[in-house]
Formats: sequence, C-alpha cells, structure tokens
Amino acid sequence: MPNDYLLSLPILAAAGWSVLLIILEAMLSRAALTRVFAMLGFALVGGLSVIGFPLQGLAFSEMLRIGGFQHFANIIFCLSGLLVVALSEKYLDDENVHYGEYYIVAFISVVGMMLLAAAANMAILFIGLEMMSIALYVLAGLMRRDVRSNEAAMKYFLLGAFASGLLLYGISLIYGATGELALHKIAIAIQTGSASMLFWIGFGLLITGFLFKISAVPFHQWTPDVYDGSPTPAAAFMSTGAKAAAFSALIVVVTNFSTLLQNSPTWSLVISSIALATMVVGNIAALAQENLKRMLAYSSVAHAGYMLVGIAAATPDGYSGIMFYTLVYTLMNIGAFGVVALLESKENLLLASDYAGLFKHRPMLAGAMAVFMLSLAGVPPLGGFIGKYKVFAAAVDAKLTWLALAGVLASAVSAYYYLRVVYFMFMRDPVGEAISAPATSSLAFALIAVAVVLLGVFPTEILRITDAALKFAQLPTQTGF
Amino acid sequence: MESSVLSLVIFLPFLLSFPLFSFNRAQHGTARWYALLSSLLVFAGALYLALQFNPSSGFQFEHTALQNWLGDSMDVKYSVALDGTSMLLFAFAAFMFPVVVLGSWERVTTNAREYYFFLLMLETCILGIFSAVDLFLYYMFWEAMLIPMYFLIGVWGGNGRGDAATKFFIYMLTASLVMLIGILSLGYISREMGGTFTTDYHKLLQLELPLSVQNILFWLFGLSFFVKAPLFPLHTWAADVYSESPTGAVLTGVLLKMATYALIRFNVMLFPTASANFAPLVCTLAVVAIIYGALVAMSQPNAKRLLAFSSVSHLGFIVLGIFSFTQEALQGAMILMVNSGLTTGLLLMLVGWLEERRGDVRLSEFGGLKKNMPMFSAAFLIATFASIGLPGLSGFIGEFLTLSGAFKSTTLQTGLYAMLAALGVILSAAYMLPMVQKIFTGELTSERNAALSDLTPREILVAALLVAMIIWIGVAPNSFLKLSETSSQAVIEFVTQKSASQALAK
Amino acid sequence: MDVSGILFVFLGAQIIVATVGTVWSRNPVTSALFLVLNFFALGGLYLLLEAQFIAVVQVIVYAGAIMVLFLFTIMLLNLDNERALAEKFDLRKGFAVLLGGVLLVELLYIIGLKTPIPIKQTALTTVQLGEAKYIGRELLTNFLFPFEIVSILLLLAVVGAIVLAKKNFTTSPKS
Repeated sequence: MPNDYLLSLPILAAAGWSVLLIILEAMLSRAALTRVFAMLGFALVGGLSVIGFPLQGLAFSEMLRIGGFQHFANIIFCLSGLLVVALSEKYLDDENVHYGEYYIVAFISVVGMMLLAAAANMAILFIGLEMMSIALYVLAGLMRRDVRSNEAAMKYFLLGAFASGLLLYGISLIYGATGELALHKIAIAIQTGSASMLFWIGFGLLITGFLFKISAVPFHQWTPDVYDGSPTPAAAFMSTGAKAAAFSALIVVVTNFSTLLQNSPTWSLVISSIALATMVVGNIAALAQENLKRMLAYSSVAHAGYMLVGIAAATPDGYSGIMFYTLVYTLMNIGAFGVVALLESKENLLLASDYAGLFKHRPMLAGAMAVFMLSLAGVPPLGGFIGKYKVFAAAVDAKLTWLALAGVLASAVSAYYYLRVVYFMFMRDPVGEAISAPATSSLAFALIAVAVVLLGVFPTEILRITDAALKFAQLPTQTGF
Repeated sequence: MESSVLSLVIFLPFLLSFPLFSFNRAQHGTARWYALLSSLLVFAGALYLALQFNPSSGFQFEHTALQNWLGDSMDVKYSVALDGTSMLLFAFAAFMFPVVVLGSWERVTTNAREYYFFLLMLETCILGIFSAVDLFLYYMFWEAMLIPMYFLIGVWGGNGRGDAATKFFIYMLTASLVMLIGILSLGYISREMGGTFTTDYHKLLQLELPLSVQNILFWLFGLSFFVKAPLFPLHTWAADVYSESPTGAVLTGVLLKMATYALIRFNVMLFPTASANFAPLVCTLAVVAIIYGALVAMSQPNAKRLLAFSSVSHLGFIVLGIFSFTQEALQGAMILMVNSGLTTGLLLMLVGWLEERRGDVRLSEFGGLKKNMPMFSAAFLIATFASIGLPGLSGFIGEFLTLSGAFKSTTLQTGLYAMLAALGVILSAAYMLPMVQKIFTGELTSERNAALSDLTPREILVAALLVAMIIWIGVAPNSFLKLSETSSQAVIEFVTQKSASQALAK
Repeated sequence: MDVSGILFVFLGAQIIVATVGTVWSRNPVTSALFLVLNFFALGGLYLLLEAQFIAVVQVIVYAGAIMVLFLFTIMLLNLDNERALAEKFDLRKGFAVLLGGVLLVELLYIIGLKTPIPIKQTALTTVQLGEAKYIGRELLTNFLFPFEIVSILLLLAVVGAIVLAKKNFTTSPKS
C-alpha cells in the first residue's frame, strides 16, 4: 500500500504549483511568464499522473480515492488546461485582458477538477466542485468592460450557486439518511439497511447538481449565454475540462451505488429520459444558431446527452466509453473553440457565413476545422465516432436500443449544423478581404486534428487503458467503494 | 508479406495521396499526371489480384490485423478478404478510377491537388468496402467514404453543389447510423448465443438467428443500402447529387454498386430467412423503381437528371435479380452492376464533356450535333444501346439473365415481377432514344452548338476504353461470369439451406 | 411537540422569512440586515443540534465580522442614498411590534406552564461532539485533507476577487 502522499502526488503537486504561480505573479507580475509556468505545471501534473498510473488506493483517512480512473481523468484535465492556456494568449491580448491571474485561476480550477474525480468523501466532492466552479465564474467575467461577459459571469454564478446549493442539500439529506459522508460507507449503509425515501431525495438532488454542471436538459439554459459572453478560451475550458470533471464525479458516485442503481428501473428510466431530452434539445437548438459560439454551446449540450447515454447504460463499458469520449471531446472541442477564438479576436468573425472561403486563404486551418466539425458529428474514421460508438454500444448492451437509436438519429441531425461550417469554409467563395491568421497557430490546430484522427483509427490502447482504469472503480474492495 | 498484399492494394491510393501536397499549388498538370499514374498502379495491383484469384474457392487473400480493435470486450478487428462476389466489383472499381481521372482531366483546374487527394482517399474507402469481412471495418469504410464524396461534390460540383453535398451526406449518414445500431445489436446477439461480442463476418454467418430477430435486423441493415442504392421510395437525393457531382461516373459506376453488393454480402447472407420472406416486398419495390424511374426519366428536360432516374430504374433490375434467389438472376445482377456502372458512367461523362463545352445540359438546347461531333455521337449511341440492353452489348446479358432468373424464381412464385420488369426494358428505349434524337438529329439550329468541337484524343481514349469493356462483356460474358459463378451458387445454396432448416425447425 | 421541536419550527420559519426578505428588499441595507437575522437563526439551529462551537462561530464570524464588512461596503457605495435608507428604516416599527408580540407569546407560554420545562438530558458524548476540542481534533486528523485543501479555495477566492474588482487594472507588460 503506497502512502498517502505518494498516492495523491498529482493533486498535492497541483495545489503546490498553484501557490507557486500566485507567488510568481505577485513578485514579477508578468503574464507571459505565469503562462509558461502554468503550462509547465499542467505538463508536470499530467506527467505525474502518467508515471503514477498503476498506483491505487485510498488516501488521507479515506478522503481521496486514487486509481487508474483518477489518473486518466487528471490527464484529461491537464490536457484541457494546457491546450486552453496555450491558445488563450492571443485572444486575451487582443481583448486587452491579458492578466497573469487568468492562468492562476485556470490552474486552480484544474485542481478542483482533480479533487472532484478523486473524491471518496462528500466533503471533498463539494470542495472540488466549488473550487472548479468559482474559478470558472471568474474566468467568465474576465472581460470586465464587456457587458455580455458581466452578464455571463453573473448568470453562471447565480445558477451555479443554486446548483451547488441543491448538491449540498442533497449531501445533507444523504448524511441524514445514512449518517455517513464517505461514499463507500454510504453504499454499505444502504446495502445493509435499505435506501430510504430520504436517501433517494438526497441522491436526486446530488445528481441534479451534477446535471447542471454538465448542462443536461432541463438544466442547460445557462450554457449558450455563458459560453457566448465568456472569453472564448474560457468557454472551451468550461465545455471540456469542467464537463469531463463533472462526468468523472458522476461516474464515481454512480459506480459506488452500482448495485443499488442497477436494480432500479426508475433510475434507468430517469437518466435515459434526460439523456434523450438532452440530445434532442441540444441538437435541435443548435440547428438554429448563426453565431458559432452559441452553436458550439448547444452542441456541447448535445454531447453531454451522448455521454449520459453511457451513464444510463450503467455498465463498465459505458463508463469507459464516456472516459474515451471526454478525451476525444476535449481535443476536438478545444480545437473548434480555438479556431473560433483565433478568427474572432483578430477579425471579429463569429457567424458561420463569415467563414466563407476560408479554405482559399488558410487551407490548413480550414482543414483542421473540418476535421473537428466532422469528428463532432461523429463520422468515422475520426475520434468522435469511436466515443459515440462506445457509449451507444453500451446502451445496446444494456437493452436500451431505443435510446441508442434516438442517439444516432440525433447525431445525424447534428451533422447538418456542423457541415454548415464546412460548407462555408470550402464551398463558398470568400467575401471581402483575405482572412489572416498566424501560420504557427494553424500548425498547432493541424496537430490537434491529427491527434483526433489517430484516436479514431488507433483507439485500441486508449480503450484498453480506460477499460482497465475502471476495474478499480468496480471492485468492491474492503476499503473501497 | 503475401498475406498483406490485399491490404497493400487497398491502402495504396491512401498512401499515394499524401505526396500530392508536395506539388506546387498552382500546377494542376503535375497533380493530375501523378493521380493518373497512382490510380493505374492501383489498378495494376487489383489486376494482379484478379489473375491470382481462384474462382472455385471461397475467401482469398485474407489479412487480419488490429486484434481487439475496440478493447478486449469486443471481437472487432481489421480483416479483409475477397471472394467471387467482391472480386469482380473490386477490380471494376479499380478500373474506373483511372477512367475518372482521365474523364475530368480538363475540368478540375482549381485546387487540383486537393481534388485528387480526395479522389484517391475515396478509392481506398471503396476498395475497403468491397473487401472488408468485419462489419465494423466495413462500417468505418462505408462512412469514411462520405467525407471525400462530400468534398468532391461540394467543392468541385455544379452550381447547386453545396446543397447537393449536404443532402447526400445527411441522407447517407442517417441511414448508415441506423445500420450501426443493427451491427451493435447483431454483435450483442452473437454474445448472447454463446461467445463474445463479434463483428467477424465468418463467425456471424454461423449464427442461427431466430426469425423475429432477422426480420428487425434485415431492415436496420437494409435501410442503409436501400437509401444508397437508391431504391424507390428512398431515391429522392439521387437526381440532385447526379446533376451536381463532378464525378458522376464514379458515383454511378462504383458507389451505388456498393449498396447492392452489400445487400448480397450482408442482408442476404446474414439474414437468409428474412430475406426470402421479404423478397416479394423488396421485389415489388424494385419493380416500382424500374417503372417509376423510367416514367420520371421520360419527363426530364435535363440530361443529367434523366440519367439519374434511368439509374434508379437500373438499380431496380439489380435488386430484383438479387431477391429472386436463383443463381441465374444473381449472376445477372452482378453483370448488371458492372454494366450500369459502365454505361451510365460513360453517358454521364459524355454529358459532362458536353456541359464543359456548352455550359448547359438541357435537352431543348441541343440538336443536330451528329454533324459536327461524330465521335461524340458514336460513343453516345453505343452507350445508349448498351443501356437499353441491345444484344451484343453488356446490358443485354445482364438483363436477360436477371429476367429469366426472376421468371423462374421459386421464392417469388410468380412470373409477374419479371413481366412487369420487362416493361421497364421497353420503357428504357422510350426515354433513351428520344434523348439521343433530341441531341444528335435534326438541324444545327443554334450557332453555339455549331461551334462545339468534337472529342479530343484523350476523351476518345477514355470513351474507347469503356466501349471496349461494354463490348467485351456483351460478346464474351463468360470471362466475367466465371469469376462469380461459384460464389453466387454458394450464396443461393446457403440461403435455400438456411431458410429450409428454419422452416423445418418451425 | 417538545420545546426543541417548537424552537426548530420557529427558527426555521425565521430563516425562511429572513431569506425571502433578503431577496425581496429593494434596499441593500435592509437586505443585509435580513441576512444578519438569517445568520442568527441559523446559529440558533446549530445550538439546537448541540453544536455549540459552530453556533458561536456562526454568530461571530458571519453575523459579526462578515456582515459588518458587508454593511460598511453597502453604506460606502450608497452614500448619496441616505434619505432612502432612513425611509426604509421606518419599517423597524413593524418589526418592533412583531418581535414584541413574539416575546409576549413566549412569556405567556412560560408563565402558563405548570410544570418546569423538561430539558432533554443529552448524553455527554453528544455534547462533546460540539466542543471545539473535538472539532479541532477531527479537522486535524480525519478531515485534515479537506481542511488543508480549502486553503487553495480561499486563495482562489482572493485571486478571483482581485481580478474582478481591482480598479484601473492594467495588463502586465508583454515580454
């Protein structure tokens, strides 16, 4: 049994690194330097998670649960953070809000995400969620002179606080019903006794809190306004890292109660219905969006729906599919948001029609964006397809074929609005002057696009890792879950 | 090394497509020569396979890789092989690509690198579709094909290209995704019946699926193929795509054959009892398609749209041939697949050249072209005759075998289908010949028509290649029939045996 | 219903009323004062649950320190609105009457009781649970990790507040 500090090294390192960043910014006050150190930090923490991948166990009086799942999730968070920070600089410069604090806040947000995924106790769950969310509220309101950014921050904060309240209330009811805060002890308490009504209400509120964070229908209304008003890189961060974190925590919670939930037809029905509604509403609303940020916001709602299909399936395959999905989604969605940010900050181009003829001037950028769009639509051989395949396969396996069928039809609808962007980029002639963008960023996007393709063609090793990562989450060990 | 030769041929166009980007963007001349040589190389590879192929045995050139592609809980892998059913179409697809490159030689001048890049990508996907023996792999190729097609239509197509491309993409994607659910269900059913989740075609053939399951899966798979075929009433995308596509010849020549090929490979073989049960329904739709396609074609003022509907009519024959469940009809359907690719492909290419010269394809605009375009007229006439099934050309042998097979079919029990379908042959003359008449006979009324030049040597070469193939199949069909003889016999035996044993079990 | 039950209902109602008052008041000062009421009632609830230490901390930290800061800020921001503030404060008469009435009811209740109020004898252990010593021990043993990691949350709050609130924020020099 490795000791507590070794086990939770990535989290401790991340926490320590965030203090270092604060000191650095306070002493030198150089945003560019803080940015480099934030990126170094993400690389370091991600690297520690890779090295420590085989380590597993409970740490700090059963407060943290560390295993392959958590390490994998950490890597996704760090990847998301790294990419977002990498593509933020130009945007923030152009918007004249290039503060070093931005990187500190983003970094601490990742610490919160890591806590969320590693929570073995409701206290950590709540602290992690708050740490992540408060950081995101700040990021949303970064552009203080912009009314829409203020509105985004205010809206996100109020609704987020409300969701946190629901979650906290849920935790208190579960505590009241079982007298425990540690997830695995709650699970034991329910198995020995039985799940009371009080527990179910608390559990429902807890899940509602998560559904809000992943912007599932009907808790999604904040998403388009917040994404639209926030700085675009921050929106990319919310839609990838934060969503991955909320899903990780959701998976941790539901795997804890797997025996209870697998025997509950109500649970399956409720989650399936929410998944269905999320897919349908997200995709149909996205059809009507002209503004690309709002389109991507609704698309992010829809993707939450696909991932929820994996939760509804309630099998290790489903969860493993979600993990793979979040990885691919992080890459392709940050790619898409990144291209939007690049063109938005320089030329203030935000509508799909503004992208007309991009292919003529910036073939590599247009090509990368096409890969992101097609991957989001779930066309093989791109990574997005494998993610969808895994969650839908899990749904079919769990006798939820109707849900999978609805899911694929919804994703066929989604192809229309993703293709619209490709249509304008490739099939329309440019209007006005050439769209300019630095060549280096085109190359960066091309690299992300290549990664998305590779994940689609050679997903085997990653899928093995996600499958193995869930083993620990599944085993009802004496100390665990 | 020997075992991976098929994979090498499949991925050769893919590998050869990347050096295109090292060419100068402005020089489309280099790119097209390079693309021509690449596609010829691939054709040589396919020809080598065809010569090595042993028609009397089953799957050959097996190559598997990427075991447990999607994690250890699923038996999904990269697995390719060819049998008599696919060999003919595989070689034919490889033949059509150099033809297409030559056919669009002058047409593509902007972004030629990207055009040939997508064309070669498409070739890999199509060759993969014809050789995949793992359902998941098949699905990957089947959907991946949409991406190059989308760009080929959308970027280098006609005026309404963007909408046509989107329409094509959404139609295909929707239908394919339904098939994905079918593949998943089939995989999990195979696990339930003992074993693991598998998409291996050979293993799935061994399953004794209950009829109720077969009935559902038949439609989950079939929908995708019927849309792509396109079978009435799922044909609504076809006319738009035909008239906007720059690569109409590939589209009809190869793309639509993938659907009818898949019908034999998957629907008929995996769900034999359901296929036999649904045969009357499917054949009814096929006959409706034959007659409906012909009737609509008659009223088209635009040559490309006319050919699109004639193709809908031809596809009806092929589907009828498949679902008659006699060896004769199946063989006929195989020949018809090649034939319709050749004739409609040639016709679309000729119309495309006319469009390049004149900028219009409305029939009312033309007349008397035989005077100043003799070579063009000759090629057009031969293709038309082949298309309406004149003896001695490729169309005749296919239609003859299909109709006589359908007439004798025990599955269909009545010769009514064949009789109605034969009406389609007559109707095809009734829409093709007036088109020829409108374009070529009469006086050269307009000056713009009089100024049109005849085919260039390159165009003559392309047309001659296709005409040679048309005549070869028409005169010596056996050299093609023998490729698929054993396998089509095997298909029919397999289906009759399976449905008989299932009927007994009842 | 015993006394603790009645007190619970009373305090609970007070919390709800105070919360609604906080949200509905047009005047920020009134809002803040409602919030103070809310905090006090919450402290009372903690006391009912035999969490003496938390109750005291609640009153001292929230109702005392934080709310005073809150009020200072509001008043500093609203200097030109003093008259409006004064007008709103006339409401206190109504509250005085209300609170007086409550007090009267309580007095009458106690006077009317023939037997002394039965105070529930709680086990020593439960009382100990609410003590600072016990809480401190828990925080530094079992809950050490959350206790420490919350410091990062507080740091975040400080940094976030600076980003959002600092006046004349200039971007740092580009390197």
